[in-house]
Amino acid sequence: MPKVGVYRANSVIYFQGDQGDKIFVLQRGRVSLNYSDIETGKDIREVIQTGEFFGVKSALGRYPREENAVVLEDASVLVFTVPEYEVFAAQNIRIIIKMLKVFSNQLRRVHKQVENLMENTSAVNPETGLFKTGEYYLRNRMYSQAKYVMGRYLTYYPAGRMAEQAGRYLESAETALMRYGDGKGPAPLAGSASPAAAQRKSFQEAEQVEEEEEARPAAQARPAAQAKPSPQGQELPDAAKSYYNAVSLFSQGKYQEALKGFKIIADAGDDPEYSAKAQFDMGRCLVGLSQWDLALQHYTRIIQTLPKHPDMADMLFLMGQAWEKKGDPERAKGFFKKVLTMNGDEDSSARIKAKKALNAMGGT
Amino acid sequence: MSDLSGFSRFARTYQPGEIIFSEYEPGDSFYLIQGGRVRITKIVGEIEKNIDILQPPEIFGEMAILEGAPRSATAIAVDTVKVLEFNRANFEILMMGNPQIALRLLRLFAKRIYDQKRRFMILTLEDPQAKIADVFLMLYETQGASSQAGAEVDGDKREFKVTVEDVAHWAGMNIAEAQTILGHFSNQRRVELYQDRIVVKNINDFTRFVNSKRKK
Repeated sequence: MPKVGVYRANSVIYFQGDQGDKIFVLQRGRVSLNYSDIETGKDIREVIQTGEFFGVKSALGRYPREENAVVLEDASVLVFTVPEYEVFAAQNIRIIIKMLKVFSNQLRRVHKQVENLMENTSAVNPETGLFKTGEYYLRNRMYSQAKYVMGRYLTYYPAGRMAEQAGRYLESAETALMRYGDGKGPAPLAGSASPAAAQRKSFQEAEQVEEEEEARPAAQARPAAQAKPSPQGQELPDAAKSYYNAVSLFSQGKYQEALKGFKIIADAGDDPEYSAKAQFDMGRCLVGLSQWDLALQHYTRIIQTLPKHPDMADMLFLMGQAWEKKGDPERAKGFFKKVLTMNGDEDSSARIKAKKALNAMGGT
Repeated sequence: MSDLSGFSRFARTYQPGEIIFSEYEPGDSFYLIQGGRVRITKIVGEIEKNIDILQPPEIFGEMAILEGAPRSATAIAVDTVKVLEFNRANFEILMMGNPQIALRLLRLFAKRIYDQKRRFMILTLEDPQAKIADVFLMLYETQGASSQAGAEVDGDKREFKVTVEDVAHWAGMNIAEAQTILGHFSNQRRVELYQDRIVVKNINDFTRFVNSKRKK
């Protein structure tokens, strides 16, 4: 049970710097909390209202008192120990909620003050910070983590400065994860081998590399890198923007919404490149939704109309997967084998996935 | 621990190694650990630094209460982790039925306010040398009890497991400036600089120095 404490005018309930373990409620009289403002050094007096709690933060947070609690007029206060206060508060949850709101406002205010004074230091812009975090994970072969961060980058900055590169990194991380597993495989990024070299290979340099790549004839670039170059400061074309919006929905598992987005791009056909990509991704959404028949129909139609679609191998793999899920392993194997007979990149994720699937189904 | 079975709609499970949130990601939820351990990390230069390992029933991500602020660290599942995920909009629902969690959050906010105020005190010092000295005083006060930082070597000598980058960050100055000041302190034999730690020769000397520079 809390005790009642009686204090004479001009006495002090606690001093700044005291290690406090008591919480007070003013019942009668006048008490003032005196302290000096951190920033200006000015003396501040905060008069406590009757019924108000004081000394809560330092007692709960177990840190020294930050003010002198001075009695202005004879006062009586209720004195709680921390456990007593907790029992009391647990029965008056509204009080805790109210205090949580007060505390969170104070936290916001002091956080803002800190930020204002930190402003002149080299604060990292969150977009660049997020991208570099993903880059760090990829460089250090932490593929699952790289996948997550690049996915988040695309979710928050679908038309961001580094969106295209993030898309490429996401794909590299996926492929490496599938092929080698976390922590294994050859250097996924320039500078992966030696940490010192990695540090020098800053993001700026990575961007230069990207620009060099873009200068090459498009035919030499890999399919994922075919997206139109987006020089710094220039907006991505609308088709690209809508496309990455849909990709970001897909990466969050919102297949139905992503499907709608891809369909609009595919139907509009404004940009042949993005419309082809969107066509392919519509099928991925259908697979995500376990709509095996619709996915098979969709891809069959693309194969008939666009036999040279850049994502052919991936489509065949997904068709194999759909047949497998439908309970037809023979047809599934047929599609997986077809992926392996296709010409092209030995390391493509479709080939790796097809090989894995065939192994899992009991040999080739 | 209170009965949380009614909150299954807020339950999330993460596999070992899975990221719960990443540094710099905008955050609007915070988490209550129900099972498994969570590693809090930060990438500093080319090193992923472990800041903390948390376990049930700890709360993390609570700074999401600050609107629009990006996450200041990454949270990764160490084991299979079960959490309850909340945000500003629905946390009241949880708190109403679970005073113990509300109290835990209240304690955490109290501590965060203090930590931020303490950082603010460093930043308001005008003298750059005093700022650097005050960083060590802060570390000594807030982490003095733990064996990690502020460990007593002998007498007034204290050892801190921090790097120049860490000190520069807390002092709100660039690394080169912090390096210069620490070099100066080292010449005066007030500190010893090592790769992974900094030793303050006389912590009381730093206290007097900082107090003399603070506005009264």
